[in-house]
Amino acid sequence: MEPIRTDFKGYEGQYVAIDARTGKIVIADKDPHVVLRKAKGRNHVFVRGRVPYADEPLYVGMG
Amino acid sequence: MCSCVAVFRTPMSRCMSGWAEPRPLPWLFPYQEDAQSTRLGEPIFRPFVQVSLVHGDQSTSQLTGLIDTGADAILASSLLSVELGVDLEDHDGEATHAVGGRVHAARYKTIGLRLYPSDSAEDVYQEWQAPVGFVEGWKSDGFVLLGSVGFLDRFTVTASRFAQAVAVEDREAFDDRFGPVLSA
Repeated sequence: MEPIRTDFKGYEGQYVAIDARTGKIVIADKDPHVVLRKAKGRNHVFVRGRVPYADEPLYVGMG
Repeated sequence: MCSCVAVFRTPMSRCMSGWAEPRPLPWLFPYQEDAQSTRLGEPIFRPFVQVSLVHGDQSTSQLTGLIDTGADAILASSLLSVELGVDLEDHDGEATHAVGGRVHAARYKTIGLRLYPSDSAEDVYQEWQAPVGFVEGWKSDGFVLLGSVGFLDRFTVTASRFAQAVAVEDREAFDDRFGPVLSA
């Protein structure tokens, strides 16, 4: 099974939602509530979370 | 018998229970690439599944839930309590969790959760109730951490980095495969 690959470049610091079938980002905004609201009820779309900057530490679980 | 219900929404009937559904378990979920990191030059893939939270007539959008076998509970960003209209001052209990050298305070509410298949079809999900600990200052990748109580006691979950996928099955699948381990 192929993992879902997503190109997160250019979205650092933003919250993103992804199309589950393609792995592409379809919603992005710095305000998480905007992304959560826009993604609600949208078929095949899930909210992934915030894209960190490259120099932010790597969190595992709750880190 | 699993207390989870398979739900298929139609315009006529919002919920139907049972397993004669278009998408019976097991459901397979491909690993998902980490939003930030590589390790030693290689991408990091994590075992995520799609879930939403439900409270009364409010629900969140579909969210990535990170399966964490080392976590005892389901934890979620307190951002989601706003979406759900959950008053965290009126919580069911409070606990602190020490994870990775940090201490997190979680306020628990028993709410509904929905698990969706890997293509995130909106009209196919399984729904159950579980305590969720809402945490301020959330830092994890994704908005929800799916631990033992409320998730791993509801499903048999098999994660394989070799296959790069997670399989979610009926919780009796473990006993079916290996025989009963825990006597009643």
